[in-house]
Amino acid sequence: MVGSASGMSTAQLRPGGAVELWAERHLRVLMLAPTVLILLGLTIFPSIYMFYAAVHKISPNPNVPWDFVGPGNFVRLLSDQQFHVALLNTTLFTVVAVTVEFLLGLGLALLLDKYLRRLTFLKTMLMIPMMLPPIAVAITWKLIYEPQFGVLNEIMYRLGLPLQAWAGDVDLAMVSIIVADVWQWTPFIFLLMLAGLASLPVEPYEAAALDGASSWRQFWDLTLPFLKPVIAIALLLRVMDALRLFDLVFILTGGGPADRTKVLSLYIYQVAYRFADPGYAAAISLFVLFATIILSTWFMKRMRLAD
Amino acid sequence: MLRKLFFTLAVATSVLALNGTAWADITILVPSGSEGDGLRAAAADYAKLKGTKVEAVQAPYANVFEQGANAGSTKSGVFDIILMDDPWIPFFAENGHLEDLTSFFKNAGMEGPDSDFLSKSLAICRNPYNAGPYVCLPYVGNAQMFFYDAAKFKEAGVDVPKTWDDVLKAGKALTDAGGGRYFGYVFRGGQGNPVVADFMPIFWSYGADMFNADRTKVTIDTPEGAAAMKTFMALRDISPKGVESYNANEVGTALAAGTAASSINWPNWVATFEDPSQSKMVGKISYSPIPAGTKPGSSEIGHWTMGIMSASKNKQEAFDFMVWATSPEQIKISAERGNPPVRASVFTDPELTSQEKFRHYPVLMQAIQASTPRPRHPKWPEIENAFGIELSKAVAGTITPEEALKNAQDAVSRITNIY
Repeated sequence: MVGSASGMSTAQLRPGGAVELWAERHLRVLMLAPTVLILLGLTIFPSIYMFYAAVHKISPNPNVPWDFVGPGNFVRLLSDQQFHVALLNTTLFTVVAVTVEFLLGLGLALLLDKYLRRLTFLKTMLMIPMMLPPIAVAITWKLIYEPQFGVLNEIMYRLGLPLQAWAGDVDLAMVSIIVADVWQWTPFIFLLMLAGLASLPVEPYEAAALDGASSWRQFWDLTLPFLKPVIAIALLLRVMDALRLFDLVFILTGGGPADRTKVLSLYIYQVAYRFADPGYAAAISLFVLFATIILSTWFMKRMRLAD
Repeated sequence: MLRKLFFTLAVATSVLALNGTAWADITILVPSGSEGDGLRAAAADYAKLKGTKVEAVQAPYANVFEQGANAGSTKSGVFDIILMDDPWIPFFAENGHLEDLTSFFKNAGMEGPDSDFLSKSLAICRNPYNAGPYVCLPYVGNAQMFFYDAAKFKEAGVDVPKTWDDVLKAGKALTDAGGGRYFGYVFRGGQGNPVVADFMPIFWSYGADMFNADRTKVTIDTPEGAAAMKTFMALRDISPKGVESYNANEVGTALAAGTAASSINWPNWVATFEDPSQSKMVGKISYSPIPAGTKPGSSEIGHWTMGIMSASKNKQEAFDFMVWATSPEQIKISAERGNPPVRASVFTDPELTSQEKFRHYPVLMQAIQASTPRPRHPKWPEIENAFGIELSKAVAGTITPEEALKNAQDAVSRITNIY
């Protein structure tokens, strides 16, 4: 049955035959092929398509041909006020949120590593926010911030403090989003720092203690330099993630009030799907992509991680 | 043999998985919530009755637009029918995503939809508005009404709020007496669609509009617009703190919980307010048409309408379903499922009007007949976004109302190229 179906001779199929030889010769290619195909399909093709789309004006009408506009969509970025607002808000969010997350994460890791090592339950609890889906985090904080029925204002009321609009207040909206993000992602930094601290060598600390170095001196001259690669990776990952912030803003504020929380991802989404202008959305996405690459490269060089 | 069988099964499963809706004769894209639930239930009834397999794909409000636009611009044919919010009609129709229904009516021996449909409900289904061919059929008869706690308004010296001045008078008294826990008015102040939806009826009540009659001029920054904005700001001042981020849920919850006395709202909230498991205000909320400003009040119409996607491969089946789903019998069933009707015969059906939960029908019918559509423009989503940003800034107090009107005028002119 097999022989007749394939039409192959027994000589070809036996060990050392032509098929086996061919398969052996191309084994690496065969093994790599699925990965390469998936990569091409999911990463390379969409990237090339995005470049192509970014230099075209694309009508939502399928009967209207794409209009080549060259760098037109990128030039438009210079005069687009909504883009400028989104860029500013994204930068503000990234700088403040990542800084706070880093300081808190490192502080908690130092505290738990040094004094509370045995409290594994506490460590697990601290990691829960990170494990939650972003949409669940956003909805939870929406309920907390709700001005009339939210927990936060109820506490304020019981304490006799003035009620706040939180995510609805122009001055507090971005702070509210940063707080929710810090709550979710500080555990990530904490986890990385804790792993870094666990891998530190003991001898330098013993020598420093014998030399009479204070705890602060030891932290500054030993711990921080030793942790530098971990810190760099943690910050890099968080910055890249913060630049893509979407869920929290989409659920909590929708970019408002008064555009105070409009971030780049939300604006790209609006341009692409609400205003049906995918060419311009692709141009903004490329801008974000290149900004992230440049920032990451600079950062890695600065932290001497490139090697 | 066995291997061949497994191979065939695997291929068949993959093809089905790749084309998940291949089994359905008609696929409908519907929003989440009562509107989509109603049509989904109707689709199930239709499948049982006619033996036609109908698949209803449900998505959140904004995603319905996105998925519809995506399917339209890629000619994917994945959806045969889309249940659209009426301001989307110009976008879908003018970008070639919707089928002109004229030939389908002709083939069915009909001149068009019958005269039992409310005239305003039919007007929005023609593109251009009330003049062009039919590109959809109305299904859910949404139009805003004014919701208020009659007892509280009476306490504040207003029996029936007929004008915005009445609302302000009662609302201010109630907010002042509320000690920061009770408010005379509440509205959707969230940036974008929410704040625009709750501002437009006030805008129209003062004789303002976004464009002049022949669409040669943007007319936001006008004395009429300024008068509307003045009232809107006064209403903001008597609304809860945080109203800048309120959407339908927050407004509905405030009314149902009895922490706010009035608002503009959509009729699908009536069911919630009259449900003892969700509301403290059962039987206490009254409904009226939109109050007048310097001109008679006008509701914003927000009908859900069914259109056939141009790329559909099952257009006749889709049309047959739409005609069936919008028949008087089916619209009545839809009304019983909680969706406001679009037919006069259902609005006046004694079987329904005798029930407490449909006591708002006379007001709603009046509101639809006195309604105004949002400006019909294919770039409405972008216009709404720009206008919504400026209104949000005014509500939040980061710019003056005058600046908001001027900025909105400039932004809408830029988007529409009308100067």
